Amino acid sequence: MNTTRHNPLIQAMALAVFVFLCAQTALAHPQKGEAVGFLTGFRHPISGLDHVLAMVAVGLWGAQLGSPAIWVLPVAFPMVMAAGGMLGLMGVPLPGIEYGIALSAILLGAAVMFEVRPPLGVAAALVGFFAIFHGHAHGTELPPGQSALLYSMGFVIATGCLHALGIGIGTVHRWAWGQKLLRVAGGLVVVGGTFFMWKAVA
Amino acid sequence: MRLPIVLKLPDDVKNLREPSVQELADSFLERRWIDAGPNGLAGKRIEFPGLQGTITDVLVRVEMLDGRSWTTIVHPSQPWVEITAAQTRLEVMGTFIVQGIRHILFGADHMLFVLGLLLIVKDRWMLLKTITAFTVAHSITLAIATLGYAEAPVLPLNAAIALSILFLGPEIVRSWRGETSFTIRHPWVVAFAFGLLHGFGFASALTSAGLPKAELPVALLSFNVGVEIGQLSFVALILSLERAFRILEVHWPRWAEALPGYTVGSLGAFWTVQRLAIMFGGAR
Amino acid sequence: MKGATQSRLPLYAFVVFTCVMCVFPAEAHLNSTGMGPFYDGLIHFLMSPEDIVPVLALALLAGLRGARYGRRALFTLPVAWLLGGLAGLSAMTAKPHPFIAAAWFLLLGGLLAADAKVSLRVTTALAALLGLYHGYLNGIGMGQFDTAAVALLGLVFAVFILIALAAAFVVRLRTHWARIAVRVAGSWIAASGLLMLGWAVRTR
Repeated sequence: MNTTRHNPLIQAMALAVFVFLCAQTALAHPQKGEAVGFLTGFRHPISGLDHVLAMVAVGLWGAQLGSPAIWVLPVAFPMVMAAGGMLGLMGVPLPGIEYGIALSAILLGAAVMFEVRPPLGVAAALVGFFAIFHGHAHGTELPPGQSALLYSMGFVIATGCLHALGIGIGTVHRWAWGQKLLRVAGGLVVVGGTFFMWKAVA
Repeated sequence: MRLPIVLKLPDDVKNLREPSVQELADSFLERRWIDAGPNGLAGKRIEFPGLQGTITDVLVRVEMLDGRSWTTIVHPSQPWVEITAAQTRLEVMGTFIVQGIRHILFGADHMLFVLGLLLIVKDRWMLLKTITAFTVAHSITLAIATLGYAEAPVLPLNAAIALSILFLGPEIVRSWRGETSFTIRHPWVVAFAFGLLHGFGFASALTSAGLPKAELPVALLSFNVGVEIGQLSFVALILSLERAFRILEVHWPRWAEALPGYTVGSLGAFWTVQRLAIMFGGAR
Repeated sequence: MKGATQSRLPLYAFVVFTCVMCVFPAEAHLNSTGMGPFYDGLIHFLMSPEDIVPVLALALLAGLRGARYGRRALFTLPVAWLLGGLAGLSAMTAKPHPFIAAAWFLLLGGLLAADAKVSLRVTTALAALLGLYHGYLNGIGMGQFDTAAVALLGLVFAVFILIALAAAFVVRLRTHWARIAVRVAGSWIAASGLLMLGWAVRTR
């Protein structure tokens, strides 16, 4: 019964992915106009591996923690991240962004690896703190002449899709082997984060 | 009667022969043999001054010496066309698919007929049968007319199409009253019969004069696909709106509920009278 | 089972609608469809994310609260939009203010993300204000009255369809998960609003 209940949502998600593929192909050929803004925004978070790792880790962690964290994090994260982006746009400086992003990947990966279960407030605060760094780093790079609205939407939607990817992978948590797999994935995120930290320091 | 449309080629193009001009029953065909100079036609504009003042379309077909060809349709909203370097078969198909969608979205009479059928149809199975019957029927006559095996005179055809819409009006009222009739029990038969008529109507909108025989099937198929896309999206839109209203528990006043049915009937009647008048009164 | 299969229809329609919206910006620079002012207006709405997104947010918000709220939004917003548009037709030129656009995103997206229990009266007021404001902006610079009025009708028709489909889609969502997904969409809209606000401050 469980599967039939979730069916429409899964279908909707599959269709949404299809929609993005459509949009991608439809917009793929070079052209002027506003639509490019959406694509630039959409590609931006996906193009940086440090960002991708941290976002997927948020989803993985949420899936491990289960309800209510699994939905509080994806609802809260985009808004906090956008707030960070807004700070950046307003010219408020944030020191050590590179380190912050790499550190967030390390810590979130570690949380997944050791299945850390802090109270919801602590988890949200931790994720929110790093969200500000991510927003500050990525939300501010609108190329001139493109639509701010579409860029913002593309940026936010891409981030949301990365969360969804993490949560989707995280659904294996209900099986014992899946739990081990998730911890391995967390370990990989830690390795990736360490690599980016090393690059930032060096 | 010739519409005030002029074919204007790029300036550096030389005519090799006298242009050939042909007036057909429902179209006007102009052929040019040109030397486009060393740089060819790529990136240049062919313009149609005067087209923007009309409601007709122009089918442009360019054949190069090396056998490549290039086909598109120009509409009044943009009375010029830019020749690109190469055109794939897919792009030609796209042109005619768009043409088909435009035609069905523009053709209020076809949409009203489909709406009338939707108002009569009771369940899904019947809906499927009816829409399929209509599709098959109009595809048959569209193909017959386009390939030149048969032809329907425009004026009586338009009147007959209007009559088919008018015919549905009383049937809709009958189905409201809970009465039954042949149409209400077997709407697919009616859809098939009148679909044959509507197919001739679609054919009149498929600008294909001047296309070589070999290209006709592609154009025909793509145009028909476009018509089906338009028609199915219309059906889907109506059905999902109806469903949405039910979910939102919208209670329409009686007059609003009856509005679609009466629109079908009265517009059908109006068009029938109007088109009969044109037919017998002659075009003025 | 019958109910379950039937309830999918708005879902599919909604997704197809979204798909169309995603694909249409590919030719966003076309102002005229060549299909008459009615379709021009309709397509204009479908190609303006700054119009679509707040309408969508309002429809989802009303849908989360139930059929009654959805119904209210369904009839208030298009009427207000039409009135605003007619007022805008006779107005002088004015530029849409980026702050206000961002504020609508923030407000409606935030309410949706928070699953706010807005009252029926607030829903009505939001719908009326949103309709009047955006209708007014649409109406400005639409050109000659007769064609512009028809274009406005096409535009309002598109608004009506979007609300009907989106609100009905959400009303049918019963599972916890599906409702959360709608709230996540709200948070995305609010986040976009925040970023837009930042841009507006920066480029001012």
